Amino acid sequence: MATVTCRDFQGRFESSDDSPRNDSPDLSIQAHLRDCPSCRNFIEDLGKIRAVGAQLAASDPEPPARIWFSLRAELEKEGLIRDTPSKSPSKSWVGELFSGRFSVLPRPVLAGGYLAALLAIAFGLSGPINSRINRKRWLDGNQSSMEPLSAQLMSAEKASFSSPPASETPVTASLHQNLEIVDNYISLCENSVREEPENELAREYLYEAYQQKADLLAQLNER
Amino acid sequence: MSTAQFVPLRFNWKTGLLAPGLLLITSSSVFAHNIEKHFKVEPRSVVTIHNPSGKVVVKAWTKSEVMVIATHTSDKVEVDAEQTGNRVDVMTHQISNSISPEDLRADYQINVPEDAELQIHDDSGEVSVANVLGDMNVETVGAGVDLEDAAGYLTVRTVGGSFQCIRCAGRLEVSSISGSFKLLSLRSYHVHAQTSKGNILFDGEFLPNGIYRLKNYSGVIEVHFSPGDSFDLSATSLKGKVNSQASLTPPAHAHPVYSKFGNAILGTFNAGHAKVELSSFDGTINILKRE
Repeated sequence: MATVTCRDFQGRFESSDDSPRNDSPDLSIQAHLRDCPSCRNFIEDLGKIRAVGAQLAASDPEPPARIWFSLRAELEKEGLIRDTPSKSPSKSWVGELFSGRFSVLPRPVLAGGYLAALLAIAFGLSGPINSRINRKRWLDGNQSSMEPLSAQLMSAEKASFSSPPASETPVTASLHQNLEIVDNYISLCENSVREEPENELAREYLYEAYQQKADLLAQLNER
Repeated sequence: MSTAQFVPLRFNWKTGLLAPGLLLITSSSVFAHNIEKHFKVEPRSVVTIHNPSGKVVVKAWTKSEVMVIATHTSDKVEVDAEQTGNRVDVMTHQISNSISPEDLRADYQINVPEDAELQIHDDSGEVSVANVLGDMNVETVGAGVDLEDAAGYLTVRTVGGSFQCIRCAGRLEVSSISGSFKLLSLRSYHVHAQTSKGNILFDGEFLPNGIYRLKNYSGVIEVHFSPGDSFDLSATSLKGKVNSQASLTPPAHAHPVYSKFGNAILGTFNAGHAKVELSSFDGTINILKRE
């Protein structure tokens, strides 16, 4: 019986459909599996991935219609597809994508392209450069993303000062004094960000001020 | 390998005569406790100093030895200096629960080999380090930090303490909230200095491929340059002013974001070998010719 190495074992996966052939059970493979915990784990992990994949495939969630519109608009803009009116854009367009002019491409390539396009659109929606597609949403998102930070710092501050120290040392006095300075900057930066939501430098200053406040509160808590 | 030894401080005849008299009129707690310890170390030793309050003075010398001289007046604290392998840990301990800030004070004079690495924590007081070429990390709350002829990777963090660095080299990262910085005769290839309320003065060399980032919220950032310097400059103050005496070549591509807001000066001075980024929220930025 020939000795099978881990590389040989995993090589069989690459050359087959993800599993070692069971139609002709190979004793050397079984022996290797018995002796090699690493390859056994590999097989177990693969089984779990398959199970989860099967569940996902069964659920097959339908993406919201706006995704299809955005994707279509983006591909039209790139000149990859032409405008073909249809009553149900999502189904017919996706159908065309997979069975029409792109059908010559292997499915993994199509899926990869689809994922890349989705990511490009998601990046466009969330990034500052292509924010024109949904600029307001991006701004609202940025504003709302700061709110939890501010709230968390507020509650941390309350917790820090819930039990005031018996006597304030020069060090804690200095920390409090600097906390006031940082609070003042936070307030200035918040105003600035409110006035100019696209101003990334102001936002950067605001985040840094939050960070400084968090550091100061941590130092106060240690004392 | 602990070669630590207690060495009594030299007898001073004046002190000897005065001491009995003083003993009659003062309580014992005001007498200074003096400790001197010596530790033999290998190259690249590490020295950590943890002192809540007081003056820490560290100087390099040519011996392969760390010498610690500590002075404290209160009986409510004690000073430990211990060696573990090639590391020497120096620490002020509080041995009483009720203790005033004055009682907490201990002063140190420490000599280390040139290549020693330092980690210093001193909340209030003063930290001064000279001629140490190893990496250094200094953290304080209110204590000011002075470095002279230091090199290596230097990181300094204060809350309100000021920072001064003279003839420092290597890599420098310093941050504070209300401390001001003076970076004089610097020869660092990487400087990142950030304070909120303090001023920043940079008067050093812009080394080729060096990166110099100075940032504050308010206050003044002042940078001095010589005609022979070579740097790419980006100076932005969102709500304040930017003044420059440097004749800059405008950038080929305007900065995509920052130049839209606030006041900004962007451009290249000579060949643009170093990168200088200055930014302030509502402070003033001055880029001045060196006198």
